[in-house]
This record gives sequence, C-alpha cells and structure tokens, in this order.
Amino acid sequence: MTDQLGALTTIFTEFYYWITVVLMFLIHVGFCMYEVGASRYKHHQHTLMKNTMLIPLVTVTWFLFGWWIYWAFPTGPGIAPSIMNESTALITDETLFSAMWQVPTSDIMAVNLGDHINGVFWAAFLLFSWTAASIVSGAIIERITTFAFGILAIAIGSVFWTIDAAWGWHFDGWMLKILGYHDAYASGVIHAIAGGFALGVLMVLGPRIGKFSSSGEPRNIGPRNPWLVTIGLFLIYTGFWGFYAACNIPIFDLGPEYGMEGISYWTATNIYVTPTTLSGITFNFLMSLSGGLLAGYWIAKGDPFWTYSSGLAGIICASAGNDLYHPIQSMIIGMIGVVISYKLHYFVERKFKIDDAVGAVAVHGYAGFIGLVICGFVLNGYPSSGYSVGAMWDGTTYASINPLGMFLGAIIMFFVLGLIPGYIIAKVLHGMGKLRIPREAEIAGLDYEMMETAKSDEKAVASATR
Amino acid sequence: MATVTNWIDHLNKPAEEVAGAIYPGAGSSEGLLVILAIIIWIGWHVLTAKSESDELERLARKRHGPNDHKSNITDW
Repeated sequence: MTDQLGALTTIFTEFYYWITVVLMFLIHVGFCMYEVGASRYKHHQHTLMKNTMLIPLVTVTWFLFGWWIYWAFPTGPGIAPSIMNESTALITDETLFSAMWQVPTSDIMAVNLGDHINGVFWAAFLLFSWTAASIVSGAIIERITTFAFGILAIAIGSVFWTIDAAWGWHFDGWMLKILGYHDAYASGVIHAIAGGFALGVLMVLGPRIGKFSSSGEPRNIGPRNPWLVTIGLFLIYTGFWGFYAACNIPIFDLGPEYGMEGISYWTATNIYVTPTTLSGITFNFLMSLSGGLLAGYWIAKGDPFWTYSSGLAGIICASAGNDLYHPIQSMIIGMIGVVISYKLHYFVERKFKIDDAVGAVAVHGYAGFIGLVICGFVLNGYPSSGYSVGAMWDGTTYASINPLGMFLGAIIMFFVLGLIPGYIIAKVLHGMGKLRIPREAEIAGLDYEMMETAKSDEKAVASATR
Repeated sequence: MATVTNWIDHLNKPAEEVAGAIYPGAGSSEGLLVILAIIIWIGWHVLTAKSESDELERLARKRHGPNDHKSNITDW
C-alpha cells in the first residue's frame, strides 16, 4: 500500500469481507436453531451437535485443501485453458491467482503485512462451505450417525462444492467459457449442489421410522418447536445478506482489468468481476424474498414452516441472475421456483419414499436448479464475463449466457457434483455399516442416555439437604 | 432482450450511456412488468382470501369447544 487511495481501497475491501463473515455466521446459528426446532425432543442434542461439529471439520479441511482446490481447478483440469497461463492443466504455476499460494505452508495463509485479502476471502468462502454442509445436515436428521455426517460434510463442504465453485464461480472457470454459465449469488454452486447431494444421501439412508405407513402413505412429522424454526429461518435470511455481500467485490476499477487503455471505471462487481451495484441487488434480494413468501403462503395454505422456507427458496431461485434482473423479474422468478419446488417435494416424497425432514432438497436443490434454468432464458445474450465474448464450446473465449448452457450447468451442479457423489459416498458408508444409527437407538431417541443421566442428576439435586 | 452483450464495448460508450439501467428489457419492458406485478398482487389477495374463508368456515362448522385444542398438542 504505497498511496492513500490504494490503502483506503485495500483496507475497505478487507473490512467489507470481514463484516460479511460475521453476518454469514448467523446462517449457521439459524441452521442450528432450525434443525433443532424441526427435530423431535428425544433427538434435540444430537441434532445440534451434528450441525455444530461440521464447523471444525469443514474449517480444518478447508484450510488444508479446500481453498487450494478452488484456485487449482478452474480449467477442469483439461477442459478449457486458463486466461492467466493459457494452459488447461491445474493452475499451480507462479501466476498471481495460482493455487500454489493457497497451500497451508504458504506465507499468505497467515498474518502477512503484504496481504490484507486472502484470509477474509478464504473465510467468506469457508462460510459458504458450512452452508453447503448445513443444507445436507437438515435433510438427514434423526437417523444418521455423526461419523457419517462428518465424512459427508467434508465431502460436500471442502471438496465437491469447491470444485463447482472453481468451474462455475471463478472468473477463469471453464463453465463460463464453454457453456456461458452465470450464477451470481449461487443458485447452483451452493444450493443446487447441496440439495442434489442431500437427495443422493437420502436415497441410501432411507426414511425415519414412522414416516411412511405400511401402505406407503407419507405421514407428516412436523416441527416440534415452530418458534425455534421461525427464529432460525429469520437468522438465515439475515445471514443471507452477508452471503450476497460476500459474493461481490465492493470496489474495483474495471478499465485496467479489461485492458481498456485510458479508461477508469470504479464499481462494485459480482464474483465474475462484471459490474453490478449493491443498491440493485438489494432491490432484488427483497423482491425475490417477497415473491417466495407470497407464493409459499398461497401454495402451502398459510403453513408457517413452508411459508418461511419459501421465502428462502424465492431468494435461492432468483439468485443466479439477481445481479442483473429487474426487481419484478426477481419476484416472479422467486414465485415460480417456490411453486415448482413445493410440488416436486411432495411428488418425490410420495413416489420415491424420500424423507427429506426439513424440505432442504426442495428449498435448495430444486429451487436452485429451476433458478439456473430460468436465468438462461431471462439473461440470454448477456456476457458471462467481462474479459471477452465468444462462441459456446470454443473454450478460449467466454460464451454468452444462454438457455442450453445454463441447463447443462444445472445438470452438472445438481446431478454430476451433487447427487452422484452423495449417493456413492453414502453407499460406501452404508456398506461399512456406519451410515445409519441402530433401529433401537432411533426409536429410543439419540438423547435417551443423556436424558436419563440428567434425570438422575436432577433427582439427586432435588433430594439433597446440603 | 439483453441490454449488454459485451462489457468492454459497453464501458467504452459515452459516460451517460454507461451509467444507465442494465436489466433485461431496460427501456421497453417496465410497463409490462408493473402490470404483471399488479395482476399477481391482486390475484394473490383473491386466492388467499378465498382459501382463508374456506378454512375458517370448515373450522366454524365443527363447533369446537374452547378446550378442544388442548388435545391437539403434538406428542414430543
């Protein structure tokens, strides 16, 4: 930082991301409250611990290799050349944005007076990782072992979502170049993949005891503490503001970045380094939330659980293009996503006997998938990047956003990187006998012994005389 | 419908053009979007009001006592 403007820009950006991390922490607080509120009393404490322990499990692995994957994999490898070194290999050379700087032994993975951004950017992405793992966590409550969930959380949080982020959420990602993929606020790169992954796990894990009658009719196991669920979802909404902020670069001069001689254009940008405004995305965030709530209240006939979840689904569905949509477009897209997701949830539950305890596959997976597909039509023809514009499948330039590319992108997110890995890992864990808790433990409740101990402790205290 | 098809070309335009709206259909679709929003807004009120009335009528027809709800509390 050699001049005042440079110092101000750097310190502002550092502080901006730092604040987003604090805000995004509320997403995890919200997920914990939401899941505990949705679980039955006899499973409360295990449900809470399962979701809490993903914090250290994903954080440590994100430090060891997750962050490295994001910077190494934009080329595939082997699919499209990097714009930095024109190679299709993993980006591990000495270029500025290479993965070689993001290994645990690197001196910028620590306090370094020459770098003010890496740690806060690492943390912002880490909080996305927690979110991805938390989405899976809610769907599988009350019958998965904490061990199995830990493995699955690391897989989605530190491996698969970071591969999709490298492919479709990095300024150099091959999906932008080949397909014209655009996903500004992560309809696909967080939500569709995590929803797909959860569905893959659920297919192997099976339903909770009692969820389906002997004739196969689904029974509703509603939230046991609706107020905790309510506060949890409000906190997730709140944290989502931080998520949206963290998906932007707050201040950037695009003229030199795009190689435009003599032109200076300071703006906020999205993750792809193309212009947007924090003001504009604020319109869209609130209008898509409103669209989701309106549609959810109508389709679920005023059911609070689904109405709140639909607010979230509305935002998720519009998120792919919320950097460019008109607010009314955002609202309508949010509504469409909610109606389809809600219907799909009950169709899949009934047809395939899938027990998604909190509707996570619908709210995140289906809404995210639908959001990507709609984005391909509404933003058809917009550039996927500012660096260049070229033909689809070319790979050396960036294809424009288009319906086919976005549909293929949705397939990659939901199925290729989500459902299939989730299914395979769950199958392996099942084969090892480590996936599901014993039937007797599920019936008694995971917290049975803790509750017994608490009861005897209380008796002892109650009968004490000194 | 795309308002921008190339960011470098767009940013090379005169400053007053660069500073304009960039959403899809800018300058041509706003009126239609507002009409759609109003239709949805009114439609939502009509549909949810009907749904609420149906539910309330159903509830009223059953003539529950003031303490009946206590037997409906979910088993933990």
